[in-house]
Amino acid sequence: MFKRMLRVSLWVWGLCVLYPLFWTVTTSLKSTGQFNLGHAWDLPRLPLQFVNFSDAWQKAHFGTYFLNSTAVVLSAVVLSLLLSATTAFIMARHPFRGSGLMFGLYISTMMIPTILGLVPLFFFMSSLHLTNSLTGLSLLYTIIQVPFGVFVLVGFFKAMPGELEAAAAIDGCGIFGTFFKIMLPLARSGLVTVAIMNALAYWNEYLFALVLVGSPEKYTVSIGLSFLQGEMQYSVEWGVLFAALIISVVPVFLLYVFFQRQITAGLTAGALKG
Amino acid sequence: MIAERNKKLYSKGQYTWFLIVFIVPTFALFCLLTLYPMVRGVYTSFFDWTGTSSKMTFIGLDNYRKLFDDEIIPRTIQHDYFLVFWKVLLILLFATVFAVALTRLKLRESAFFRAVFFFPNMISVVVIGVLWRFIYNPNLGFLNSFLSLFTEKPVSIAWLGDSDLALAALVPPSVWAGIGFYMVLIMSGIMGISESLYESARIDGAGEWKQFTRLTIPLVWEQIKVSLLSIVMTTLNGSFLIVWLMTEGGPDNSTQVMGSYLYQVGFKQYQMGYATAIGVMILVLSLLTTVLLNRLLRRETHEW
Repeated sequence: MFKRMLRVSLWVWGLCVLYPLFWTVTTSLKSTGQFNLGHAWDLPRLPLQFVNFSDAWQKAHFGTYFLNSTAVVLSAVVLSLLLSATTAFIMARHPFRGSGLMFGLYISTMMIPTILGLVPLFFFMSSLHLTNSLTGLSLLYTIIQVPFGVFVLVGFFKAMPGELEAAAAIDGCGIFGTFFKIMLPLARSGLVTVAIMNALAYWNEYLFALVLVGSPEKYTVSIGLSFLQGEMQYSVEWGVLFAALIISVVPVFLLYVFFQRQITAGLTAGALKG
Repeated sequence: MIAERNKKLYSKGQYTWFLIVFIVPTFALFCLLTLYPMVRGVYTSFFDWTGTSSKMTFIGLDNYRKLFDDEIIPRTIQHDYFLVFWKVLLILLFATVFAVALTRLKLRESAFFRAVFFFPNMISVVVIGVLWRFIYNPNLGFLNSFLSLFTEKPVSIAWLGDSDLALAALVPPSVWAGIGFYMVLIMSGIMGISESLYESARIDGAGEWKQFTRLTIPLVWEQIKVSLLSIVMTTLNGSFLIVWLMTEGGPDNSTQVMGSYLYQVGFKQYQMGYATAIGVMILVLSLLTTVLLNRLLRRETHEW
């Protein structure tokens, strides 16, 4: 009895999650004419309106937004990984006076609401001419994930056997050689987890992009999508909106399919920080 | 000491240089783009400032006094805690039940459900906002057309446009998008429980329900506690995003939360000093709430 109830609840919730997603796909293939009939449950009529996708990509500029997001995400992922791995390596294996305090500082900002610094951040970035710039956004994204990266990677570097570093150093690798040639490759699984978590966080980020980026040619995908949603008050191209929505979710979906294990591990690691 | 031993591996001059190169750039950027804005936020809250002019007038605690006089502030706090309460209750309930079902039932399809339930956690708040705005759309959305199946007249409730319904309508999207992650967290706890405990419980004649309440729940209490604190924190610090995307705080401030009000006051009404004072209020309330909950939950752990 208990078992059957649980099993039914799983199927019901499964439907609650999958149906809206399925429905998004069908909706993106409907014509505006079919939309206005109001039968939300209907399947799309033939011919399927694949034109919605090309309209989203070109007319609604999602091609541009997609490129912007990709550029920002890739550059920020690489930079953030470099900045957090170097710091984590020192904190784990070469602690100095005050490194504990510094670690505490990084971690504690994960508990502080980002919105507290939003107003000053905007004016500070603006004074450096880094507002309305993808470089500025990428730089900011780099930093906001550093505490998470440091937190996860310190664990990885701490777990490594000390002999490896000693052996590399004695072989004359030098300190930078030891780090880049020996330690980083050994921490690969940690780096992958952090890179994927950061990529997801950046791709989905909304608040900073909203505040910092003003001109449409520099929109990221999430800003573009919310902008298009706002436009729906005046035009009624729902099919295009949902095609754009799918375009924005595809990279996330692919990451999820290929890295599900790292993603759940990464999120759990982040949550247990408290 | 690990540090002393590792240090000896390298020549002294190189070592100092290495520490500087590895530590300073990260920390400098972190100070500039994370710490400085936060400290500056607290500082700005003592000034009257429109943001556009360079003139900042020191007004002491006036922005904080204004918090107490502003009629909207108590409503935003109330709305935030309304969301906190329902999200904690529903997410924890569903997440725990699903976590138990997916681990204890040993179903063939459990990997599938796990993957499906987690997926909404992956997608951005913008996508969730767009999707649910459409689900709630009075004429075209599928919630009303679903309800219409059971009524004679077509249902045309404006879920997000009705000030009595809008706040409650924000709960389902948040729950929908939140369950998967906490479910995985609690699942990891359950999978850490030794099977022999369940066996001896069965031998003692404990049924499924009793095993659930007497064994599973106490043993994953740590994960439940972490989940609860995490839901509270992320809601108080981040609920404004879904609000901003779905209702912009309306209609008539009926869904305004602290964060969305901050955004409106700062970036739409250009009262930067007052906006940062709201930011400080969010910080104080979220810290107080976490400390208080930590106390309460610790006591409860002892009772188990």
